[in-house]
Amino acid sequence: MDPPARRTDALDRFRDLSTTSDPRLRDELITSHLGLAHQLARRFAGRGEPHEDLVQVASIALVKAVDRFDPERGVQFSTFAATCIIGELKRHFRDRGWAVRAPRRIQELYLEVGQNIDRLSQELGHPPTVPELAAAIGATEDAILEAIEAGRGYRTASLDAPDANSQTMADSLGSVDSRFAHIEDRSVLADALQALPARDQAIIRLRFIEGMTQSEIASRLGVSQMHISRLLAASLRQLRTGFADGQARDA
Amino acid sequence: MSDRDDQEPIDRPEVISLEFPARADLVVLARFTAATLGARSGFDVEEIEDLRLAVDELVVSFEAVQAGGTVHLQCTQQRGEVTIECTVEPGATMRPSDGIAGEELWGAGGELSKQLLDALVDEHGREHRDGQPCVWLRKHRANPSG
Repeated sequence: MDPPARRTDALDRFRDLSTTSDPRLRDELITSHLGLAHQLARRFAGRGEPHEDLVQVASIALVKAVDRFDPERGVQFSTFAATCIIGELKRHFRDRGWAVRAPRRIQELYLEVGQNIDRLSQELGHPPTVPELAAAIGATEDAILEAIEAGRGYRTASLDAPDANSQTMADSLGSVDSRFAHIEDRSVLADALQALPARDQAIIRLRFIEGMTQSEIASRLGVSQMHISRLLAASLRQLRTGFADGQARDA
Repeated sequence: MSDRDDQEPIDRPEVISLEFPARADLVVLARFTAATLGARSGFDVEEIEDLRLAVDELVVSFEAVQAGGTVHLQCTQQRGEVTIECTVEPGATMRPSDGIAGEELWGAGGELSKQLLDALVDEHGREHRDGQPCVWLRKHRANPSG
């Protein structure tokens, strides 16, 4: 079969697709709109989910949009696809971003708390108190505390997930790791750390051996303080489990 | 619980007592209580995060030794300072001699827990009170005037 004639009008191409179901035209329409999927995925970056996961979710939503689009409804495909992709990305955050399902209002408040901690820390010159956060957000102190606790249920982002500058946290940690090469630390903590991935070791070392605050670590790595808090909590849980398993093996 | 009109730390001690089965999934109760008292003491969010991590460490490390027991927690806040005291009543499945003396008090990961707590709180310790093992921690607000 001859390749479909290139049409300048996207609606005409979708009309062709609806009548011919030509798989090559379908692929072409998907490929030509992948930029939109990437662009929308970037808008959701920095919220704790790996970038590549977001691109995947957006791309799948794009494929569904191509298959579902009705060119006779008088709407541009890009408008229709953007609505579908954004909806899918939001669902991804609501359903997949939380290992333990929290009410939607708490999920949204948690994200707002994280953003305001960083902003207020800059403005005030110190991490905010709960009343300061509550006043800035317009929430009660109880709700702020509830959101912070609920954050434990939020999955920590991969250290390999790129940030807005396409640099991964692992890149930032590279220089940190080399600084530890000369440290001769025979502490129990240093021994226990061997059970953790190198990058988690580095964050634990910065906090518990170097004595840096969560904010200082966050600033160095270019992530939020709440992100560091989640990583620390997860690493300590893993540390305890690894330690207990090691004790059981040695017994 | 409701928001306070006066955000100044309260001068008289506020004491909250909790009792729950020694299970890791219930430590959230201790964490939330400690965070609430930290907020009422004027801690900033980072101090509260450290306090939550410390409470995790305190209770979970104890729970590992005293599986099947009951955790008694007394949380006190006064003048920008939070104190958490944790005792564990041994469970029915445990022998009286099981792991509640000396270095066993904090379980096999005791040294690790101590090192973590050193970084997270101002003071902590372990002792026997009325024949019961007790671990405790204390954290002060970094900026008393803030």
